[in-house]
Amino acid sequence: MATHAISIGDAEYQEVRSHRLLGFLFFLISDTIIFSSFIFSYLYDRSASAVWPPLGIERPGLYLAAVNSIVLFGSGVTMHLAMEAWRHANRSRFAGFMIATIVLGVGFLSGQAYEYTHLHDTWWGSVFGASFFTLTGLHGFHVFIGVIFLITVLLQTRRGVYDQSRYFGLTAATLYWHFVDVIWVALFFLFYVY
Amino acid sequence: MTISELQREASHAHIHPPPQGFVSRYVISFDHKVIAVQYFITSGLFFVLAGLLAEMIRAQLMQPHNTLLSAQTFSEAYSVHGSAMVWLVIIPVLTGGFGNLAMPLMIGARDVAFPWLNMFSFWLFPPAGILVFLSFLYGAPQAGWTEYPPVSLHTPGTALWCAGIFLIGVSSTITGINFMVTIIKMRAPGMTWTRMPLFVWATLVTAFLSAIATANLSAALAALFIEKIFHVPFYDPANGGSPVLWQHVFWFYSHPAVYIMILPAFGIVSEVLPTFVRRPIFGYRAIAYSSVAIGLVSFMVWAHHMFTSGLAQWVQLPFMILTMAVGIPTGIKIFSWVATLWRGRIRLSTPLLFVIGFLSCFTFGGITGVMLASVPADIHEHATYFVIAHLHYVLFGGSIFGIFAGLYYWWPKMTGRLLDERLGKIHFWVMFLAFNATFLPMHWLGLLGMQRRVAFYDNQFEGTNLLPMVAHTNVFVSISAFVLGLSMLIFAYNALRSATRGQVAGPNPWGARTLEWMTSSPPPYYNFAEIPLVLHGPYDYGKPLPYANISQDLATEPVD
Amino acid sequence: MNETRSQPLLDTEFWSVTVLLTVISALLMWGVVIFPIDAWLPEASTVSKDIDFIYRFMAFFSVPILVYVNGYIVYFMWRYHVAKGEDRTATGSDIHDHPGLEAAWTIVPSILMLILGVLSYVVLPKYYLASAASVATIEGIGHTFFFEFRYPGLAQPVDNDLHLPVGKQVTIDLTSSEPDIRNAVIHSFWVPEFRVKQDMIPGMIVPIHITPARIGTFRIICTEFCGVGHSDMVGKVVVESQSDFDNWFKSEQHMQSNGATQAPISIAGGDAAAGGQKFAAKCTTCHGTGAFAERKVGPGLGNLFHDPDHPTLVTGKPANADDVADIIEHGFSGDLGTMPNMQVNQLTPKDVANLVAYLESLHK
Repeated sequence: MATHAISIGDAEYQEVRSHRLLGFLFFLISDTIIFSSFIFSYLYDRSASAVWPPLGIERPGLYLAAVNSIVLFGSGVTMHLAMEAWRHANRSRFAGFMIATIVLGVGFLSGQAYEYTHLHDTWWGSVFGASFFTLTGLHGFHVFIGVIFLITVLLQTRRGVYDQSRYFGLTAATLYWHFVDVIWVALFFLFYVY
Repeated sequence: MTISELQREASHAHIHPPPQGFVSRYVISFDHKVIAVQYFITSGLFFVLAGLLAEMIRAQLMQPHNTLLSAQTFSEAYSVHGSAMVWLVIIPVLTGGFGNLAMPLMIGARDVAFPWLNMFSFWLFPPAGILVFLSFLYGAPQAGWTEYPPVSLHTPGTALWCAGIFLIGVSSTITGINFMVTIIKMRAPGMTWTRMPLFVWATLVTAFLSAIATANLSAALAALFIEKIFHVPFYDPANGGSPVLWQHVFWFYSHPAVYIMILPAFGIVSEVLPTFVRRPIFGYRAIAYSSVAIGLVSFMVWAHHMFTSGLAQWVQLPFMILTMAVGIPTGIKIFSWVATLWRGRIRLSTPLLFVIGFLSCFTFGGITGVMLASVPADIHEHATYFVIAHLHYVLFGGSIFGIFAGLYYWWPKMTGRLLDERLGKIHFWVMFLAFNATFLPMHWLGLLGMQRRVAFYDNQFEGTNLLPMVAHTNVFVSISAFVLGLSMLIFAYNALRSATRGQVAGPNPWGARTLEWMTSSPPPYYNFAEIPLVLHGPYDYGKPLPYANISQDLATEPVD
Repeated sequence: MNETRSQPLLDTEFWSVTVLLTVISALLMWGVVIFPIDAWLPEASTVSKDIDFIYRFMAFFSVPILVYVNGYIVYFMWRYHVAKGEDRTATGSDIHDHPGLEAAWTIVPSILMLILGVLSYVVLPKYYLASAASVATIEGIGHTFFFEFRYPGLAQPVDNDLHLPVGKQVTIDLTSSEPDIRNAVIHSFWVPEFRVKQDMIPGMIVPIHITPARIGTFRIICTEFCGVGHSDMVGKVVVESQSDFDNWFKSEQHMQSNGATQAPISIAGGDAAAGGQKFAAKCTTCHGTGAFAERKVGPGLGNLFHDPDHPTLVTGKPANADDVADIIEHGFSGDLGTMPNMQVNQLTPKDVANLVAYLESLHK
């Protein structure tokens, strides 16, 4: 998408960029609706149930999730620092923080995999399991896509796809990564704290 | 300069040549006009199939205990009929078809914001439809287009149905995002919000609803699919799920979807009326802003489909009040359209006739809608033929009449040739009369005690003497429905005939003033040789055209 | 511009048409007022009259809207259409809007809606709040595909047959079970003459309150699609005087306590051909004539008596004519599902005998 960005004029690039930015924001809004729908389902089941979690179901442990959350939020910070470095044209610092973000993202996924394999509850075992695994699984899938996205844009910067004034792919990746962070705040509160 | 000279000049004005080769031109096309035609053809095929299912339903109901279809086949027929008409016909035609055909032209753009996404979005649609119809092979869903669990979890085809509707939902979301960006960012210079044609206003609100509400449908369908395949408990109470939860999430989408199915038809009406009445539309701002109001309120009324589902009374009350509130902006639109007819110079062309049919039927459907909003009244009417009658008055009398108005209106823009007026008028009168004969008696059937989704009905019960009348009414309704189905053949013949014998239209056969008529028919690949400049609103009949970069000759010569 | 400014915007002809439409409206509105709803669909519960008042109110104000909208459409089309030979490029009035008129058609419907909202709000609680204590609470349970009613004081449930004393408020606790929550689906309880409808939802118990106001027999209709037998899921409600109700209740009690000693239906001399016709009419909703494992709602009965796998009946015994007749007669309710009894299926003892003979004749 960005390869022919070089060949068009600045005014036209700015126009195309504004279209893509707006389209991407609308995509994130509709993605938020998907998460909200499942969250509504979870809260509905919860309010309909006399005891929560349902009898015989254990809540997943808070400590692992807390550590995992710190890993994910940390990746949000490194992502922010990477973009700051890009704006100051510091390519090596940018690449360093991008790699840190990717490693932290993979770390989060590993933590989630560990949690999944050590839980007694199953996806199909109860309404709690249904919501828990669907929502955290959907979020994990988003993190996975995000990691692929970050690796792709990192490789693209190596090939010189983006320059100092034209880097919408990076902007989109950043927005997406922060979006995934924010969704996690809601999920963490719902499943481990509330 | 005459029209024909202009036409020749416009066709030389390509900025880039269109893609060569059959596949890139007509199959994997990025051109919004070609994609629109793809939507029309695909939806047209599904319309025929879903229409045949409707005739099967009416054939079965000719007799109280007909053996034509088994109860199971009958349930499959109405479920796929409803699903196909909603998701494979009305929504794709109004948004994908008319939205793609007219909206970019009307805002003076060369295409939508993301042509590639537009192509992708279309190609999700045929597989979606095939999946829905393929479910017949495995035991199609039987619980109607609403597919309430737990009963919907008992039919094997539900999984295919979910997958199909999920695809069309994703397609709808993508198109919605694409159109919102297009309308917000790509209007021609000078086209302020209040100079936008009303169809564009309607498409903007529809796009918003498609992007937001349909995402929620995708989530609900995914959950139903997961439950069907992996037995993950969301909706089945046997495993701790809640069947009422599905009703909430389904209607949170499907009520806005009702407006996804009617707002573009409102837009078509608002375009056709001023063109054939030849005067400015009455209350432009009221019509535009009432679309926005309807769109916003539509998110807060979903539980009015659930007044018998055991909701608490304090929950029902706000939903009842807000549902009634939707009637007010809708009324404003209808009254403004009627006022537009006043002191016009009315040319009784086919598109206008369909708009008049729309106004008459939709007003009736709107009024029965208010009757369904009042909770005590709804408790009696819910899930009866009264609801069937109401929804066909708004979706057939509203959306389908709007679709035909749009087809007759934009056919020359799409194909370059006019449809035959005389055939068009015959089509209208047969369709209008058969439509009312089919659906008007259903109001009585429902109020007197005929529930929906039944393959057999009572004609003898010790307590009541009305049941023979119910049986006779059903025969009348079925015969009317067959005539209604046959009336579509007139249109099919007219459409095929226009390809060879249709009068060549020229750029602006109706003497309209919106931008899609300010270019040749069909328009060149890049729509406009020069991007037009917009100086005023589009409906000031009797004044010079409000555009620069556009020939002033285009406004004056209606040919009909 | 074809407008001649000297003419008033609204001329005599317009006002004449308006008067005509008003007269038509008034006549139709009068028709709405005198329309005998009760004669068409009896107002058989105390809440019916309130709801019919709401209907009358809605129809009353809908009539003028329909008459004016359609009337003006036809009138304007007739008056302002361009005839053959006239200038087809001429344009009409350039009036864009009229704030006063637009305010009117916003405010008047708003007021009507508000009144309708208040009316509905006043009637609504009558469904939900018992005005006085109910004389009894009956359990109403939806099954595939019949209604089961459990009366306090009756040991056995009554299927598809609800008896209510006139003029007394009863509460019916509605739910759905099969007989437990597994395989249960949503049904709905509707008596059109009562104007009462409530979904029967598995896992939820929703009470409704009914005060029958009219003696008679009415249909109980399932309005929520519940499976292949949905069309046939119709019961009856019998509203009777207190003494008739007491008699029914006593005889039901008597029958139930004597049920065990009742002579079994004689299955001798069953006619397999007649049984086959009954089977097609009454049983094929739930049972096929394939192998035992080919289930529709219930098992396939094609070789019930001659199955090489020797399936056992729900009674736990291998297939035998007496037990099969017993199941058809009394129905069945257990872990494997539910089946309505012969009263629900409207079968005579002769039919039962014929059906058993038919089932025995299959796959010999």
